[in-house]
Amino acid sequence: MAAADSLASSGLAVDARDLTKTFRSGWLRPRRTEALRGASLQVPRGAIFGLLGPNGAGKTTLLSILATLLIPDGGSARVLGYDVVREAREVRRRLNMASGNASFVWSLRPAEVLAFYGRLYGLHGRALRVRVDELIELCELGAHRTTEYNELSTGLKQRLAFAKALLNRPEVLFLDEPTLGLDPDVSVRIRAQIARLRRELGTTIILTTHYMREAEELCDEIAFIKGGRILARGAADALKRQIHIGEVVSLRLDPAEPIGLAELSGVLGMRRRGDRLEVTVDAVEKRLPELLRWLYGQGVEVRDCRVREADLEEVFVELAR
Amino acid sequence: MSSRAEVAAEVRASARPPEGLIHEWVRTWAFAHRNLIMARRNVFFVFELTFWPGVAMLSHGLLTRFLELTPQMTAFILAGTVALSTVQVCQLDVAYAVLFDIWSKSMKHQFLAPVAIRHLALGSWLVGVGRGLVVFALMAAIGSSAFGFDFLGAGPASLATFLLGCFLSALIIGLFVCALVILFGTRAESSAWAAVNFLVMLAGVYYPVSVLPGWAQTVSAFIPLTYFLDAFRAGYGFEPVFAHPALMGFALTALYLALGHWALAAALTRSRRTGLLLKLSE
Repeated sequence: MAAADSLASSGLAVDARDLTKTFRSGWLRPRRTEALRGASLQVPRGAIFGLLGPNGAGKTTLLSILATLLIPDGGSARVLGYDVVREAREVRRRLNMASGNASFVWSLRPAEVLAFYGRLYGLHGRALRVRVDELIELCELGAHRTTEYNELSTGLKQRLAFAKALLNRPEVLFLDEPTLGLDPDVSVRIRAQIARLRRELGTTIILTTHYMREAEELCDEIAFIKGGRILARGAADALKRQIHIGEVVSLRLDPAEPIGLAELSGVLGMRRRGDRLEVTVDAVEKRLPELLRWLYGQGVEVRDCRVREADLEEVFVELAR
Repeated sequence: MSSRAEVAAEVRASARPPEGLIHEWVRTWAFAHRNLIMARRNVFFVFELTFWPGVAMLSHGLLTRFLELTPQMTAFILAGTVALSTVQVCQLDVAYAVLFDIWSKSMKHQFLAPVAIRHLALGSWLVGVGRGLVVFALMAAIGSSAFGFDFLGAGPASLATFLLGCFLSALIIGLFVCALVILFGTRAESSAWAAVNFLVMLAGVYYPVSVLPGWAQTVSAFIPLTYFLDAFRAGYGFEPVFAHPALMGFALTALYLALGHWALAAALTRSRRTGLLLKLSE
């Protein structure tokens, strides 16, 4: 089994197979929550990999198992060839993680937080001081060096969590909602750092996010997880083709929402976006002329009409349904 | 080696230099340094270092005056007062290694790093020993100046053995408190310390264990602090209850340290299995 795993792991930063995890809670009325039901995931070295899914899909559970914070009930997982249960210490030396809702000891200052965790990764002396200074500069925390953690803003806390995750120059980095609740400008800077890490250091990055634009912008590959299983994976464009949910006809109409349109043959869905009505159809070549004929027949004025592919968010919604 | 196996080996050889003793010390120091920062920054830490031990020594000293106890009996009582205060302060520091992270919901970061129980236990214990020595010095100063109690009356070696016994007892207690908190979450905090006080009570802090009921005497025979107190008081002329009490104390200590380490390791594994480790970080 170990030899087979090693071979299977070749060139893979993460190789998880058939992972299962059930949480049990309650004494009087025991409850079981199946968080993972045979999730498998292979991530090549040096990739930025997106893990998308609705709340409670199993994203954090999967990342936590890979990060050695949880022990799976079944299946196996290797990070850089090391088993996450039996060789957890070797995994921990090479991996790090930042989450959007990270928290650190409240009375410590950013430099002290970094120095504490730096030491846990074995950094000491001048190397530790230099690394802490580098990361404080990189994450623009210099002006807040002496501010206690509980007095930092959400954005600064998140930047500190990101800095902490880089302390040991991880070969594999897990980012759990890294831009959650951040201002757009801070999010842009964090995304730029993520891209730079892969480009300059070859770091393998797995990130979970609810922002589809972020996933499309950063990730080479994306996996959709739902109900504890990986439902689909691939590059964003390939996923859109694979999970074919039709094309979107974006219309500006007067009146804005004609009655009966949703019942037309080939119309898969409708939603309002600003002053436009977006109609998802199964085959645009066939349905667009029919749609326009019907609108003219109803006396609806078409002021603008555009056709586009369904975006990742629509694929996400379809899969999450 | 086949080419496929070579590839597999190459994947594994994401070479990180092997680690040595310096890394062991650095990880241990991380916890010690954090406890030191917290102790320096929090006014309540100064309070627990000076106020309660001072109050304990003064009130117990005054009680010995009121009861018109002999210097020998005064030494008996005040030795117990010192033991209780040093153990309490020192074990708190060991428990802080986990409690700081539980209170700030940062537990997972600590155990995401390649740390072992020995690092967090020893690092925080070192600060506990330092703080325990401060408590002892304060109590010795109050005891000798106000009540004429000579802490060196049993000899320096006896005192050193007694203090070491107290600090090691604190390490054991701290390990078990950490294990309970990791196993049951913050709701275990108060019950863990209640259990600690109960056990210390059975160690014969202010009285010889011979006055305890039979079942309690049996329990006290399994508590290392019982033996360290017995050995220290023998230096003040009290007939020792046990043969070779210091030796027995250290032997039991070694056993409980191994058990405490195992208990904490098992609690951590269980919390990784149940997901409590993550819940403690949310």
